[in-house]
Amino acid sequence: MAEQKEKDSSRIKEAVKRRKRETYTPVKPEMQLGFVHNNVDCIGCRACEMACKDKNGLPPGPRFRRVQYIEGGTYPDVFAYKVNMSCNHCAEPACLPTCPTGAIFKRKKDGIVDIDSTLCIGCRRCEAACPFGAPQFDPMENIVKKCNLCVDEIDAGRKPYCVMACMMRVLDIGPIDRIWDGGLETVAVGPHDEVVRQVKNMADIELTHPSIGFVAHSKGKVK
Amino acid sequence: MMLKTAMSYLLVAASVLILGWGNVAFAGNTGGLDYERALWHPLHFKPAIDEATNEQCLSCHQEILDRKVREQSPAGVKAEEALAWYQTLHTYEGPQMTFHQRHLTGPLARQLMNMKCNTCHQGENPREEAPIPPDPTNTTFTLRKQVNPEICLMCHGAHPFKVMGLPGPWPESRDNFQNNCLLCHAGIRTNRHQVNFLKADAIEEAAKKEGDVCYGCHGGRQWYRIAYPYPRHAWEGMSDEVPEWAVGRPTESNPRFRIQQGEAGK
Repeated sequence: MAEQKEKDSSRIKEAVKRRKRETYTPVKPEMQLGFVHNNVDCIGCRACEMACKDKNGLPPGPRFRRVQYIEGGTYPDVFAYKVNMSCNHCAEPACLPTCPTGAIFKRKKDGIVDIDSTLCIGCRRCEAACPFGAPQFDPMENIVKKCNLCVDEIDAGRKPYCVMACMMRVLDIGPIDRIWDGGLETVAVGPHDEVVRQVKNMADIELTHPSIGFVAHSKGKVK
Repeated sequence: MMLKTAMSYLLVAASVLILGWGNVAFAGNTGGLDYERALWHPLHFKPAIDEATNEQCLSCHQEILDRKVREQSPAGVKAEEALAWYQTLHTYEGPQMTFHQRHLTGPLARQLMNMKCNTCHQGENPREEAPIPPDPTNTTFTLRKQVNPEICLMCHGAHPFKVMGLPGPWPESRDNFQNNCLLCHAGIRTNRHQVNFLKADAIEEAAKKEGDVCYGCHGGRQWYRIAYPYPRHAWEGMSDEVPEWAVGRPTESNPRFRIQQGEAGK
């Protein structure tokens, strides 16, 4: 017994030594879910934001979903559109390796990046690392929380609350490959709309390869 | 003519004085502003934010240094027993802190860095509403809060082992190089770390002792999947031919990070 214990502890020590100074290898999901948002037809009512806050019981402050307003131009050539993001459930999330407690994980099944907030110590590293501002600090509990794509709804075969609350039907989810190649059947994308991966003023997608598609406004297109 | 020149000198001196006093006065006065007014204070925007001192920022935002991480998570994970992947380098010491403290007051930050609030922070909340018209060349504003990730990328990018011609990622290759970056980079080197948010001399010294110090900021604390395209300062013996991966790179640091005269050696 004592010998076995000795053996185990030396094995553990060896494993710890090996893992030291390694960087992490991202999980490759069997299928990656992601959002698609129509920047042009979104009216910015923020119903998605409120549905999300309602479902997740969030106090004032943290917003898992953020409707971002872009307005500009000079009269009469003016424009306004919205870029709507929650968590982009990135292929290679930046938040994940920063977490000291392993609270953040990526699901193998559908690539959902989730944070188990009960393991969070509130160091807010993930919040800093995310290029899209997804992890949200809850000052009341001193922990970080974020969008988990309503994983319970997904497992029950339904769509997340934000999608269900969208009165303009400009927000939807689906397998991200099909969103990008236009193969997903969704009313969020019109018959002549093209889905793009990057819009203006959004952080470089090469940083983390976010799983999100947009129907971009003409002023928000990136060449 | 002489009188005119003298007058203009006086004017400049007077405005410097007034501005200087204004700043001092500001540091003590912010408490009176309500949240909305404070949010849109000119100090939160260019150009004033470039001149903002840490004292000015901390006069309202002191909590970023005072805040503590939880001793344990709601489910009972102890902070002192937790370690992230990139914290397993030898250079990481001490208890878990918030990332602000790690960048400003942590042991490694004191030893090697000279960061200020406005090294990273270039604006405030309104960045959620993009500048008008939206412009991808304006890299100081991105659709997220607080900090442009390109600034983070400088020390939290990937290790560009392919560019260096290494057989594999550094964790696999390091034993072949005795975990010593200076084996090659004593000769192959650009004008390194000469920016106002790093202590260049201290970094050179620390790198001699331990390769992990270099690796920390050059892949070991990797957040993102790409490496930062550092400016290509010319060095002695540099080949005239620019390799393919360095085409189009700037040859000078971002003006914001250049060391001003009188600042060197700090």
